[in-house]
Amino acid sequence: MSSTTATAHGHATHAGHHELGFVQTYIFSRDHKMIARQFLFLGLFMMILGGLLALVVRWQLAWPETAVPGLGGILKETSGILEPSTYNMAFTMHATIMIFFVIMPILAGCFGNFCIPLMLGARDMAFPVLNMLSIWTTASAGVIMLVGFFVPGGHAAAGWTSYAPLSAVPSYTGTNWGQNIWCISLFIMGIGSMMGSINYVTTVINMRAPGMKLFRMPLVVWSLFITAILLLLAMPVLTSGVAMLLFDRTLGTSWFRPSGGGEPLLWQHLFWYFGHPEVYILILPAMGIASEILPVFARKPIFGYHAMAFSMIGIAFLSWIVYGHHMFVSGMNPALGMAFTVTTMIIAVPSAIKTFNWLGTLWGGSIRFTVPMLNALAFVSMFVIGGLSGIFMASTPVDIFIQDTYFIVAHIHYVVFGGSIFGAFAAIYYWFPKMFGRMTNPLLGHLHFWPTFVFFNLTFFPMHIIGVGGQMRRIYNPMQYEFLQHQQHWNVFITVSALCLGVAQIPFVINFFWSLFAGQKAPLNPWNANTLEWSAPSPPPHLNWGATLPTVYRGPYEYNAPESREDFLPQWQAPVRAGAPRH
Amino acid sequence: MLNWWLPENVSTYGNDIDWLFHLIYAITGITAILVFVTMAFFLVKYRAGAGRPVKYTHGNTTLEIVWTVVPALILVVLTFLSAPAWSRIKMNIPASDLEILVTAKQFNWQVTYPGSDKVFLDEMHVPVNKIVRVRLKSQDVIHSFFVPQFRMKQDAVPGREILQWFEVVKPGRYEWPCAELCGFGHSGMRGWVHVHTADDYKKWVAENLAAAGAPAEEKKDEPKKNEKEKAKP
Amino acid sequence: MSPTLLEAPPAGVRANGRTPPPARPTGGGDDHEGEPGPRRPVMANAQLATMFVIAAETMFFAGLIFSFLILRVGAAVWPPPLQPRLPLGMTAVNTLVLLASSAVMVRAVRALGAGDRAAVLARLGGAAGLGALFLTVQGFEWARLIRFGLTVSSGAYGATFYTLIGAHAAHVGFALTWLAVAWILAARGRVDARQPAALKACAMYWHFVVALWPVIWVSVYLV
Ligand code: HEA
Ligand code: HEA
Ligand code: CUA
Ligand SMILES: [Cu+2]
Repeated sequence: MSSTTATAHGHATHAGHHELGFVQTYIFSRDHKMIARQFLFLGLFMMILGGLLALVVRWQLAWPETAVPGLGGILKETSGILEPSTYNMAFTMHATIMIFFVIMPILAGCFGNFCIPLMLGARDMAFPVLNMLSIWTTASAGVIMLVGFFVPGGHAAAGWTSYAPLSAVPSYTGTNWGQNIWCISLFIMGIGSMMGSINYVTTVINMRAPGMKLFRMPLVVWSLFITAILLLLAMPVLTSGVAMLLFDRTLGTSWFRPSGGGEPLLWQHLFWYFGHPEVYILILPAMGIASEILPVFARKPIFGYHAMAFSMIGIAFLSWIVYGHHMFVSGMNPALGMAFTVTTMIIAVPSAIKTFNWLGTLWGGSIRFTVPMLNALAFVSMFVIGGLSGIFMASTPVDIFIQDTYFIVAHIHYVVFGGSIFGAFAAIYYWFPKMFGRMTNPLLGHLHFWPTFVFFNLTFFPMHIIGVGGQMRRIYNPMQYEFLQHQQHWNVFITVSALCLGVAQIPFVINFFWSLFAGQKAPLNPWNANTLEWSAPSPPPHLNWGATLPTVYRGPYEYNAPESREDFLPQWQAPVRAGAPRH
Repeated sequence: MLNWWLPENVSTYGNDIDWLFHLIYAITGITAILVFVTMAFFLVKYRAGAGRPVKYTHGNTTLEIVWTVVPALILVVLTFLSAPAWSRIKMNIPASDLEILVTAKQFNWQVTYPGSDKVFLDEMHVPVNKIVRVRLKSQDVIHSFFVPQFRMKQDAVPGREILQWFEVVKPGRYEWPCAELCGFGHSGMRGWVHVHTADDYKKWVAENLAAAGAPAEEKKDEPKKNEKEKAKP
Repeated sequence: MSPTLLEAPPAGVRANGRTPPPARPTGGGDDHEGEPGPRRPVMANAQLATMFVIAAETMFFAGLIFSFLILRVGAAVWPPPLQPRLPLGMTAVNTLVLLASSAVMVRAVRALGAGDRAAVLARLGGAAGLGALFLTVQGFEWARLIRFGLTVSSGAYGATFYTLIGAHAAHVGFALTWLAVAWILAARGRVDARQPAALKACAMYWHFVVALWPVIWVSVYLV
C-alpha cells in the first residue's frame, strides 16, 4: 500500500451531488461543516464585542471616571464616562458573552460539529435538522442577549453569576428588563446546546466508521463527547435556575427572595452545580485539541492515550462534586466547605496526569513550531499556571482571603483565555485548511501568536499581584480605597497591556479573512496527520466522502511507527500484512 | 516583595492563612518551574532540526503511576494541613463577652453593640487582643464582610445570621470594604474598623455607648451620599 | 480521484446510519484481531437520543424538585397558615389516570411489534386521551386553587407549587404533541414493525413524563 497519500491533491468523488440553493447551503444548512462555520462566525463576532467590553472595564479601572474613548457617542449624558451601574453591566455582559457566546460556540459548537463526524468517518451528524435548529436557537439566544443592551434600565448588572436576591428584585440593581432578557436568553441557549449535545452523543455512540473503536477515537472526539454529556446534564440545572429567577422577577414567586420565604443560597447552589461542570465544558475541548495537535507536530504518538481518555472521564465525574468551592465563605455550612476542599484537591490529579502526558508527548519527538503548535503549547503552559492558582483557592483558609479578589480574576483568565482561547486559536489554525480549503498565512499567524502570548501574560499575571494585595473584583473604582491606592500603577499597566492584547488580535482578523478568500489552496493533508478528516477533500463536500467511507485500522497517533516508511501512518491506511483485506 | 504583596497581617489567625499561602506558593512555584523548565528543555532539545531519531512510544506505566501518585499525595497532605486552620477560623467560634451585631444594607455597614441601640454607620470600634464575635446579617442583598489585614471574609446573607470572630493584635484603623457585588454602590461600600488599646476602648465605650437613647444615626452618611450623587450625574 | 485513500469496507456501505447492515458474527469491527467491519448501532438513533433527552430533563426537574424540598424543609410550618390545602383525593385519581395512559402506551408499542396498525392507532389515541384528561383535571384544580387565593406570588408555597406543577404540565403538553406526531406517522405507515424507532422513542418520553408525576405528586401533595 503506498503511503504517499499526503501529497494526493485531487478531488474525491462527490457523493450524492445535488445542488442546493443559497439559503440551504449557507443559511439553513443541515451540513455539519456549514453549521460549524456558522458557530465559528457567531463566536468570533461575539468575541470582538466581549473583548471591547473588557477594554471598557479596563479603562475605567486604570483611569477611573475619565471618558472612555469611543463611548462618547453611546453614553451621551455622561459624555463617555462610565457610571457605576454601567460598569457593572459591562463586566457582567463581558463574562456572559465570553462564556456563553464565544467559548461555547467556538469550542463545543464549531469544533464539535466539525470534528465529530469527520474524525469518526460519519457522513453527517445523526440528526442534521436538529443540528440546524441548534445553531439557530443559539444564534437567536445571542440576538436576544444583545437586545438587552437597548432596553431601558440597561442590561443585566448582577455579575455573570447573578447572585440572588440582587438579581431577583429589580429595584436592587435598577435593571429591569435587562436581567429578564439575560434569563430568557440563557434559557433558550440551554435548549440550543441540549439539541447540539444530543446530536454529538448519538453520533459518537452510533455512527463511527467501520473499525473506529471507542479507543481508536481521536482524543478531541473523546473530549467533545464528554463535554456533550456534561452539557446535557449541567445546562438543564441552569435552565431551571434561570426559569425560577425569571419567575421571581416577573411573576412574583419567591424562590430566592427571603421576604417571601425563599432562600438566596439556593441560587448559588443551583448556579454552581451548573457552573463548575461548565468551566470544564470550557476547558475539556481545548484539552482535546491540544492532545490532537501536540502529537502531530511532535511527530510522536500521544503519551498515555488511555490515561488521557480516562483522566477526562475522571474530570467529568469529579466536576459534579466540587462546586461548593465557589461558596466557601458564602454562609454555607463550613463543614461542607471542608468536604469540597477534599474533592477540589482531587480534581487536580487528572489535570496533573494530562499535563505530564503532554510533556511526555514532547519528550523525544521532532517538534515543529507551526502556528497551531505554538498555540497548543501556550495552552499547556498557561493552563498549568491557571490550574496551579486554583490550588490556592482550593485550600479553604487561603480562599477566605483571596475569594472575590483579582486573584480569582487572574485564575479565570489564565484558564479561560490561556486555556480555552489559546485552544480555540490552535484549533482554528489547525483545521482552517480543512474547514475552508485554504491555508492561513504563517507570518501573520506568528505576528498574532507572539504578541498575544506576551501581552496576555502582561495583562493577567499582575492581577495575581493586586489580588494578593487585596483588590476586590467587580469594583468600579479602586481609588476609593486607601489600601489599594499604592498599587494603582499596576492597574494602569494591566490596562495598557490589555489594549495591546486587543490590538494583537488584528493580525488574526486580517489573517482569517485574507486566507478565507486569497489563502493558498490547501492540500488534502497539509500537516501529514493521521486522523480521518484529512482523508476527505479540503473542504469536504456535502456527505464528506465519496462513495465509500474510510475504514479505520489503527489508533489515531501512529507517528514514526516502525512498520511504516513515512513518519505517519493514517488511520485509514490498510495494513500490509498477510491476510490483509483484498481490494 | 518579601511578603509576596500580602497586606500586613494583624489578626491571630491570619498567620495560619499566610503560612498556608506561602506553603502553596512554594508547592505551586516549584511545580510550575519544573513543568516549564522541562518543557523548554524538550522544546529546544527535540526541535525538528536537531536531527534526533524520534522515540516511538505510547507511554510508560511506571512513569504514569508516579506522576499520578506524587501530586495526589501532595494534594492530600495539603488538604490535611488546611483543615485545622479552617476549623479554627470558621467552625469553632470561641466564646467572648463582646458580640457585635453588623447588619449590611445597600450600601453601608450598620454596627450595633450589646446593650445599646445606637447604630454606627460604617465604623466599628473594637479592643485589641480580645476576641470579638460578629453577628452578621443583611437587610437586602448579599454583602461580604472583608478586612484584608484581618484575613477575614464572610458573606452576609439576607434571612440568615452568621457568627464570625476575629482577634486583632495591633491597634490601628483598618479599611473594611464590602467584597460581594451588591449593586451600583458596591464599589465604595466600605467602613473602618478602629482597633483601640484596652484603655482607649474603655474611653470610647464610655463616650459613645454609655449614654442610652443617643441619636440613632450618625451624620457619617452624608458625605457618602454626595459621592454617589457625583458619580451619578 | 484518490482511490488509494479510501479502503472500501468489506461489507455494504453504511448510509448515514439509517439502515444498519446486519451484525457480523464477530460483533463488528470492535474485536481486537478481526478486520474492521461495519459497526452495528447500539440502538436506533432516535431512541438513543431520547434517552439523553430524558437524562437532561431529569436534571431539569431535579433542579426544581430539590429547590422545592430545600425551601420546604427550611420553612417553619408547611403549608403556611391561612393558605388553602392542596386537594389530595382528586389528584390521586388523576395520578391513576396518568399511570393508566402509560399502560395503554405499552400496549400500543406491543401492537406495533405485532403489526396491528389499527390497534396501534386506537391505543395511541387512548393514551393521548388519558393524558389530555389528566391535563384538564389539573387545569380545573389550578383554577379552583387560584379562586381560593393560592397564587404564584403568595410566598414560597404558591411559588413552588405552580412552578413545579406548571413545568410538569408543560411537559405533558409537549409529550402530547409528540404523541400526535407519532400517531400521524403510524397512520401513514411511516412507523411499523420494521421501523419502530420513532414510536418507541415517543413511548420512552411518555413513560418518563408519567413516571415523573408520582415523584412530584408525592413531594408536593403528600409529604
Ligand atoms: C476553564 C475554566 C476553569 C478551569 C479548568 C478551572 C480549574 C480549577 N479551578 Fe477554577 N474557576 C473558573 C474557571 C476554571 N477553573 C472560573 C471562571 C472561576 C470564577 C467564577 C466566578 O466566581 O466568577 C473559578 C473559580 C474557582 C474557585 C473559587 C474561587 C472563589 O471564588 O473563591 C476555585 C476554588 O477552589 C477554583 C479552583 C479550581 C481548581 C482547583 C481547578 C483545577 O481543575 C485545576 C487543575 C490543574 C492544575 C493543578 C495544573 C496542572 C497540574 C500539575 C502541573 C500537577 C501538579 C500540581 C500540584 C502538585 C499542585 N476555581
Ligand atoms: C470566558 C472568557 C473570557 C475572556 C476571553 C476574557 C477576556 C478578557 N477579560 Fe475577562 N472575565 C471573564 C471571562 C473572560 N474574560 C469572566 C468570567 C469574568 C468575571 C465576571 C464577573 O465578575 O461577573 C471576567 C472579568 C474580567 C475583569 C474583572 C472585572 C471586575 O471584576 O470588575 C476584567 C478586568 O480587567 C477582565 C478583563 C479581560 C480582558 C482585558 C480580556 C481580554 O483578553 C480581551 C481581549 C480581546 C479583545 C480585545 C477582543 C479582540 C478584538 C478584536 C479582534 C478587534 C480589535 C481590537 C481593538 C481595535 C482594540 N475580565
Ligand atoms: Cu455591599 Cu458590595
Ligand atoms: Cu469551580
